[in-house]
Amino acid sequence: MKSNWLNTNTFHHSEFKEIELLVKKKEKKNLTISLCLPTLNEEKTIAKEIIIMKSELMTRFPLIDEIVVVDSGSSDNTLDIAQSYGAEIYEASNILPHLKESTGKGENLWKALYITKGDIIIYLDADIKNIHHRFAYALLGPLLLNDKIKYTKAFYDRPISTDQQKIRATGGGRVTELIIRPLFSLFFPELTQIIQPLSGEYAGFRDLFEKIPFPIGYGVETSMILDIYEKWGIDVMAQVDLDRRVHRNQDTKALGRMSFVILKTFLNRIEGLEKIKLNTDLFNEMIQYKQTSGEYQADIYKIKGHERPPMITVPEYCEKFNRHL
Amino acid sequence: MNTRMDAILKKLPSFVDQIKSIKEVIISNIVLIGQTPAPTFHEEARTEIFLERLSDAQADYCSTDDYNNPIGIILGKSGGAKPPIFVVAHMDTFFNADLGHNYVIRKNSITGPGILDNSLGIGVLASMPIILRKLKLAFESDIVLAGVTQSIGTGNLQGIRRLLNTWDDPIRGAVIIEGADLGRLSYYSEGIIRGEITCNVSVPEDGEHRYKHNAILILNEVIDEILAMELPQRPRARVIIGKFNGGFKHGVIALNARLGFEIQSNSDNMVKRMYHEMMDIVEGIGHEHRVDLKLNIISNLYPATLKYKHPLVKSTVAIMKRLGLKPASHSSESELSVFLTQNIPAVTLGITDGKNVHVEQATMKIDPMFTGIAQIIGTIMAIDSGVCDEK
Repeated sequence: MKSNWLNTNTFHHSEFKEIELLVKKKEKKNLTISLCLPTLNEEKTIAKEIIIMKSELMTRFPLIDEIVVVDSGSSDNTLDIAQSYGAEIYEASNILPHLKESTGKGENLWKALYITKGDIIIYLDADIKNIHHRFAYALLGPLLLNDKIKYTKAFYDRPISTDQQKIRATGGGRVTELIIRPLFSLFFPELTQIIQPLSGEYAGFRDLFEKIPFPIGYGVETSMILDIYEKWGIDVMAQVDLDRRVHRNQDTKALGRMSFVILKTFLNRIEGLEKIKLNTDLFNEMIQYKQTSGEYQADIYKIKGHERPPMITVPEYCEKFNRHL
Repeated sequence: MNTRMDAILKKLPSFVDQIKSIKEVIISNIVLIGQTPAPTFHEEARTEIFLERLSDAQADYCSTDDYNNPIGIILGKSGGAKPPIFVVAHMDTFFNADLGHNYVIRKNSITGPGILDNSLGIGVLASMPIILRKLKLAFESDIVLAGVTQSIGTGNLQGIRRLLNTWDDPIRGAVIIEGADLGRLSYYSEGIIRGEITCNVSVPEDGEHRYKHNAILILNEVIDEILAMELPQRPRARVIIGKFNGGFKHGVIALNARLGFEIQSNSDNMVKRMYHEMMDIVEGIGHEHRVDLKLNIISNLYPATLKYKHPLVKSTVAIMKRLGLKPASHSSESELSVFLTQNIPAVTLGITDGKNVHVEQATMKIDPMFTGIAQIIGTIMAIDSGVCDEK
């Protein structure tokens, strides 16, 4: 691996704290910016994300033009709360409703392309407990200040919060270190320079997002990096250190299911790129076991590897945004 | 009430909705400052972010004094001819820095450690320049927005004491803001002595005796004697036993124990008399059992009061009633007493309603906060109109 990308395209959020400068750049380039929060039962954290982003990056500095929540069918008060604090709210199933219904984070991100207006779209996970407006402005910094960069991704320390509210100083990123980094090392060593390829916070130009497919579930972050890398190369990407992100911790079984989806997405991608040849179809079931009354029982999760095509191939989108293939 | 006060009262109700229209900015300040831990004596990180927010809000002057109290000033129209008005909130909290301080915001509430004591107060203080601009208000006096450090517990109000001791010029009046409760109106402070009684049972060099003294039982004797003290109806007086800890584990005799107490009275002589009586109790029991029994003073305050008929109190009551609030007067042993003992008219006001003030899951209501802020603004306007200038 010869790339110097890690040194040239890695930034710290403090480099972009002059928000006024970012606003000037945005206005000079005549750009609009949308913030999208994909949600599923995030009533404990959604309000804080909306309030802080709205206060700091809309009211005080006109950096963001809209905040949009795209929901996968929350059963709690996520949407009600989001609306009460002024976000535009959408249920994913009501966007392009004639398409076959799918549910997942990737589906929300893909459909957000249709309902947002911005030339730049910021995607932030909605479960960030220590949200700060740097999560948005720092991802925008390289996009606004460097003409070559079209996609930015966050990385950070990942302390885990426990039930007792005590913070454990290190941890998290297990799927990255056990699954993604070994795979990148095997097939795309250059991409190992991305510190946290699975981080749920990224931003990019619409021109770029609309040309790549979106897996509907957890595989979306992995596929996004692979597709951008293959189409435009690593130099259009940058990563930004956001210092610290406190989030809900997931148990090992949930991480296992996440890993299943990511592995499947990855294998399909590299087969498509003719880097390997699979001589069998991949199964759609993740099988885990639990012990009940001394007996082991299988927990079977059907996980389809469905993905949405590039949005620019959807006629309604092309019409709305005056795009042509 | 004079005509200037009438004009203030007339405007007040319209303030509530105007303040509510910038709720995101106010809540952001409360959360971003409040999520930065600030245990007493370790307020540096919160001080930094408070000043940053105050500066972002375009206060005319932002700095710390030599005791690290962060201060912002909104310059008045009189060019210094009128003395300044202080608006004060304490920076420190009861909670350690290693505790998660991430707040949860719901439709009408915010929950998290220290939210009511005193993240809400500090967040509102940092928002004050923006709120005053929104209301298009300018004052004759400079408005000094002071976040004061080392306030609670063993901090013993050192931040405000130091600030006022080094502030050479006259002060027109002060409003102290606390998170809870809306409707609270404090204009008097009781005299207090806050202290600890510690008991340590030494282990003999030749090893432990099977039936040695138990530090917890000795402090129990001390408590029994304190409870037997004869206290008068007038002046009012009481001893609060507020904290107790000691021992190691269930099956081992406790070798040390600690008792936290506060003597409270509206008479300084009474406070002193009770203190000496407690010293006699401690010395007597310590001597009798031959154990190391000590009484240490952590902090003390002199009683001080404004009369109910003081124009500041009367104006504040009128402001609260105009906003539909029912004033409830409480003694306040906080920054208020330091102002009052220096003969500076001052009141303490609460901003909103809430519950579980001093536990990790403290919760404040959002909607009443806008009325609470309006009463603070009204009180500042009243002071600026001259209610504290009358002798």
